[in-house]
Order: sequence, then C-alpha cells, then structure tokens
Amino acid sequence: MGRLVLHRLGATIPVLLLVTAGVFSLLHLTPGDPIDVMMAESVDATVKANLRRELGLDRPIAVQYVAWMGRVLRGDLGRSVRNGEPVIENVGRRIRPSLQLALLAMAISLLIAAPVALASAVRRNTSIDRAGTTFALFGICMPNFLLALLLIFFFGVTLRWLPVSGYTDPAEDLIAGVRSLVLPAVTLGLALAAVITRTLRSSLLEALTEDYVRTARAKGLSEWAVIRAHVLRNALIPVVTVLGLQLGTLIGGAVITEYVFGLPGVGRLVVDAVFARDYPLVQGVVLLIAAGFIASNLLVDLLYGWIDPRIRIR
Amino acid sequence: MAGSTPGSGFAEPAATLARADAAPVRDRRWEVVRRAARARLAPFGAAVLLLALVAALGAPLLAPYDPVKQDLGHALAPPGRAHLLGTDSIGRDVLSRMIWGTRVSLVAGFVSVAIAAATGCVLGILAGYAGGRVDGLVMRLMDAVLSFPPLVLALALGAVLGAGLTGVLIALGVVYTPTFARLMRGQVLAIKAREYVDASRALGASGWRVACRHVLPNATAPIVVQASLSVAFAILAEASLSFLGLGIQPPAASWGSMINAGRGYLQQAPWIVFGPGAALFVTVVGLNFVGDAIRDALDPRLRT
Repeated sequence: MGRLVLHRLGATIPVLLLVTAGVFSLLHLTPGDPIDVMMAESVDATVKANLRRELGLDRPIAVQYVAWMGRVLRGDLGRSVRNGEPVIENVGRRIRPSLQLALLAMAISLLIAAPVALASAVRRNTSIDRAGTTFALFGICMPNFLLALLLIFFFGVTLRWLPVSGYTDPAEDLIAGVRSLVLPAVTLGLALAAVITRTLRSSLLEALTEDYVRTARAKGLSEWAVIRAHVLRNALIPVVTVLGLQLGTLIGGAVITEYVFGLPGVGRLVVDAVFARDYPLVQGVVLLIAAGFIASNLLVDLLYGWIDPRIRIR
Repeated sequence: MAGSTPGSGFAEPAATLARADAAPVRDRRWEVVRRAARARLAPFGAAVLLLALVAALGAPLLAPYDPVKQDLGHALAPPGRAHLLGTDSIGRDVLSRMIWGTRVSLVAGFVSVAIAAATGCVLGILAGYAGGRVDGLVMRLMDAVLSFPPLVLALALGAVLGAGLTGVLIALGVVYTPTFARLMRGQVLAIKAREYVDASRALGASGWRVACRHVLPNATAPIVVQASLSVAFAILAEASLSFLGLGIQPPAASWGSMINAGRGYLQQAPWIVFGPGAALFVTVVGLNFVGDAIRDALDPRLRT
C-alpha cells in the first residue's frame, strides 16, 4: 500500500507542474494586451502601468513564470484586480456554501441512486428496470440549468414552497439554511444520481451472476440476505470510482447551480471573475479548483486500493 | 455540464474488435447499418437528428419571423396562432430564434468534436508511435488537461479567448481532446504489435505509410463511436457556456442564451425558457440514442 501511495504521488507531480504552467499561460492567451482587456480604455495610463508592474508583465515571460511559481509555492495565489483582496481570502469566504451544496447533493444522489439501481437490477428487464434506466438516461441528458429552472418554476414560482434564490448559512439558521440549499442540492444531486444509478445497476447485475451468489442462494439464504451480504458490498466498489470521476461534473454542475440560484460559492466566484475579466482571480481560483480535483482523485485512487485488495496487488 | 465527462469508462482498445469475418467489405457495412437500425430507440434518435439538421440548414426558409427583429408591442405574447411558441421580453418570436439556435448547437457539437478528434488522433498516434519521452510528455499533457473540471476549463479558456462561438469551439475542442488522444494511443499500441504491421515493416514500408495504411483504418471504429457519443455532450456544454454568457453573443440566438434571457420571466412567460429547453433536451436525448446505436453497430460487445 505504501508503494502504491508513493507511486501515485510521484505520478501527480509532473501533472501538477503542467497544470500550473497551463494556468500561468492563461493570462498570456488573451488576444491583445491583457491589461487593456482587464481595464477600460478610460483608465489612467499610470494605473495601467502600475498594474502591469504589479503583475510582472513588463518582464520576460520565463522570469514571470519563475516568480509566479515561487509565489504559488509559498501559498500566494495573487490578488483580485477588482477588490484587491488575496485570492485565498476570496475563496475562503466562498468555500462554505460550495461544500455544503456538494455534500448535500452527494447525499441526495446516493439516496436516490441506491434504491433505484437496486430495484432496476433485481427486477431486470421489467417495467421497473425500464423506469430506472429511463430515469438515468434523462438525468444524464438534462442540462443542469434547465432542471434548476424547472424546479424553480414548480417549487418556487408555482407552489411557493421554497426560496428561488439567495443563501442562508445553516449554522446560523438551520431551517432557513436548509430551505435555501434544497433546490440547488436537488438540481446537482439528480444529475449525479443518474450517473451513479447507471454504474451501480451494471455492477449489481454483474455481481448477481457471480458464483458466490449462486452458492449463497444454494445455502438457502433469503434473496434479501444474499443481496445485502454478498451483492451490494461487491457492487459498491465501482461506485467509489464513479464518485471520484464525477467530481469534475459535480464542480462544473456547482458552477451553474450556484449561478442560477445566486449562491455565493466558489463556482459563482469563477463566473464573476470571468465576466469581470479579473484574470489573476480566475488564475488563482482555477488553480485551486484543479489542485483540489487532483487531490480528491488521488484520494479516490488510494481509497479504491484500500477497499479492493486486487488493485493493491496489481 | 451535465455532461458527465463524455465517454468515460469505455475507452477500450478496439484491437479486440472482432475483425475475423471474411465477408466482403460491402456486406459488412450493410451488417453495421442493419445492426444500428435494430437498436430499439435508434429510429427516434435518427428522426431527431434529421429534424435538427433540416432546421439548421433551412433556418432562413423555415423560421416564420426574423429571429432578431424586435416587436415591443407584442412582448411576452403567449403561444398562439401568430407566434406558435410565443414571444420574448422584447417581442422576438421564440420559435424563429429556436430554429436559428439549432444551427449554433449543431455547429458547436460537430465542429468542437471534430477539432477534438483530429487533434486527439494526431497526438495519440504521435504518442503511441514515438513512445518514450514523446509519449510521456504528450500523455502527461493530456492528464494535465483532464485535471481541470471540464466546465471550469472551458470557462477559463472562453474567458481569455473572448466570448463568441469561435472561443467556445476552441475551448470545447481542448476539453475533449484528451479522450480521443488516450483512445488513439491505446489503438496504436495494440495495432503496432500486430503481425500485419510487422509484415508491412519487413517489406520496407515507412513509419508514415504504416500509420496511414494500417493503424488509422483499423483504429477508426472506436474513434467514430467516441465522437458520436461526444457530440451530444458538446451540445450540452455549448448550451451551458451560452447560458453563462460566453457563447454566441446577442442578438444572435442560441438555446443556452435564450434560456438564460428567459429565466427572469419564468412567472409571466415560462415559454421563453421551455421552448428552447425542450429543443435542447430532445436533441441531446436523440443524439445519445444515435450514439448508442452506432456503438452497438460497430462494437456490439460494449452494449450495456
């Protein structure tokens, strides 16, 4: 296991280096002068010159990269051009709603996917199965923003059960907080549930045909006992991988969901930074998101090795 | 992007494709078409794709109104005889804009996947063929691209390339490239080890000739399957970026931007959102069926 950890960590380093190079060059991909793109024409030339100096854009590109990497390694991801605050502080203020949203969405997705996939697999090729697979297909094809607007239309506008936008921290007011997170979390959770349902259904179907399942049945165990003790436990392994693979989708979905529901999260911060042409902030947040994404994928890989000994041996 | 990362999970080397049948090529092609048509939902998918193509190509003839012409006297008019799907907040005909939006969606879907497939295949062949350091560098580069959540990468690239369809096409092209590169590399590695490649080499064929004559034709099936499944997700991704305001710019119409423009009027005029929303959803579902049918036809072993 120790060797696996070292191997995976070692493989991550060159990728991280390339990721930082990519994020660094974002600013230099802008057609024309990035300072002119970031600031209106009317802005004073000395202000522009100051920003150019502050961002180091007056130096050769290799020097810029080394200086930028040096700062990144010290944990300094730069400052927002708009509000002058360090990127880390900007993200720190926004991370809470994003994490709450992601956790709630994941819980919702598992609560939906597990029973649907189980019913689908156990009653294979029946109308229950068809309903389950149709749900999965529709969930995968449904754009997040459209689902969000449908939910807002029914539960916010028509029935008026839940708030359609805004955020209350559940730590301050539990009921209002949860109410403000329900629609965004369902939006995000349903898409994820669809993907998990698909994977779980096929891994359940595979597990159901294993020899140990036949043996368990031959021993006279009830069908439920067979499923609980033998099938479900083995079928859950691929779901961990899928959850890891879907983190990117989850983050992307969170960007849209936070935008639609006006949640002040990290996703919303990316969109705002993009439209404010606040490139240092875009760079910083994108780098943080990518690093988080790489770290969680690494974690999932290691977790997978821990759950399934066959991976470790390989 | 609701788009679960497209194509994840089936990047299986096609070297395992059954190629042993000795039937003449033409018969085999018909068999592929017959298998595709047998897929239960394929006809629905094909019909949707055909309809979308007709709408996109015939937009100037089919759209009842000018898609950008404002008519403030009839703003937010509900669906009726004059405007089948109603009008938006500045009186533009929703149906006409939806028909024109089909063009943007299809162009985005097909062109971005074409960019990704072409770039990915070149990189994949390069990595698989050259091996060693080149392989390592190319594949780490692809890993780096995959280290960004797709939508976040597309947003960041769209931001620096500027709003507009070209920026979105390039951004999506970059996002989908690694999938094709990985797939192609796997193919090249598998095919490179085949006897007929050795034979060709022994006869003095150049590396380039081997790649064009033997590797590419044998590697196309999984690439076509991947491409056909990716188009639906690319359309979804374009709509998401347009929804956020990065795609084609107003007053031109795209489904995503129409939905975004309508969300402020959900209570008074839900048709502004639901018309293009339904078009987007049905197109993506239809393209998925077509993609599944193509996969089943070209590689029945991958059927789920």
